[in-house]
Amino acid sequence: MWKWIQAFASPQNFYRISKKIIPWFLYPFIALTLVGLYWGLVIAPIDYQQGESYRIMFVHVPAAWMSMFIYIVLAVSGGIGLIWQIKLANVVAKVSAPIGASFTFLALVTGAVWGKPMWGTWWVWDARLTSELILLFLYLAYMSLGNAFDNPKTASKASSVLAIVGLINIPIIHYSVTWWNTLHQGASVSSVEKIAAPAIHPDMLMPLILMSISFKLLYGALMLMRARDEVLIREQNMRWVKNVIMEDGK
Amino acid sequence: MTIAEYFEFLPYGKYAFYIWFSYLVVFITIAILFIRTSSIHKKTFSQLRIKYSRED
Repeated sequence: MWKWIQAFASPQNFYRISKKIIPWFLYPFIALTLVGLYWGLVIAPIDYQQGESYRIMFVHVPAAWMSMFIYIVLAVSGGIGLIWQIKLANVVAKVSAPIGASFTFLALVTGAVWGKPMWGTWWVWDARLTSELILLFLYLAYMSLGNAFDNPKTASKASSVLAIVGLINIPIIHYSVTWWNTLHQGASVSSVEKIAAPAIHPDMLMPLILMSISFKLLYGALMLMRARDEVLIREQNMRWVKNVIMEDGK
Repeated sequence: MTIAEYFEFLPYGKYAFYIWFSYLVVFITIAILFIRTSSIHKKTFSQLRIKYSRED
């Protein structure tokens, strides 16, 4: 197993293998999104309290889950890069940040647009919203710190430490609706008691699950596509990179 | 007349504006992510090609 990981983690092998993996993320992403959207926007019944407006959930909740999921990936791979000096881990952490920031932005914007008709306001400074906004700032801080150094090794080290310290915000976001009084509703699916018996109709749950898988596939595809280019930049003094570039135009 | 009322002719009635606006923002953001990914790819290849052609 370890040997396999080491082989895959060599930049050259990663570059070769990832090309074959990307379509396996991209096409299922398109298929699942189409099915999920149709199910969520057409088949799913109207909510008894929120009427049609709850349909924003099918993009809002998966985006919010992704914002936290990608941050965990970023911090863990940053940590792996820091401890075991695996170059690929630093690459994954670096290219994940803008994608994670985009999902955080989406969670905040779709949340605000959902909040307006339901709560009567675009924004409130309550625990869930504020901690999610802090997550966006953490992503932005991570990216600017990563760009502040000329040496990619120093940049990775500094930004990984920031990412690991910022990890404390993830449980705060998750439990914010339990720990504090907030306008934001509690968990319907993603809590220990609810995961076995979600407090949501199956025709609402299914598109939610489909969309959350599709967003994960989207992240996988985008991350691999960006990681391939980042690998080329970092390994540009290697013979194989030169071969890849010079053979490309022919 | 507010914007929300203006878009009531779309499916989902009085919530049409809010729902379609969220989905539009998601679509645009994902499109930008793909466009940016492809522009990074092109930039990487053209820069490295210049670097290697100078070396030769």
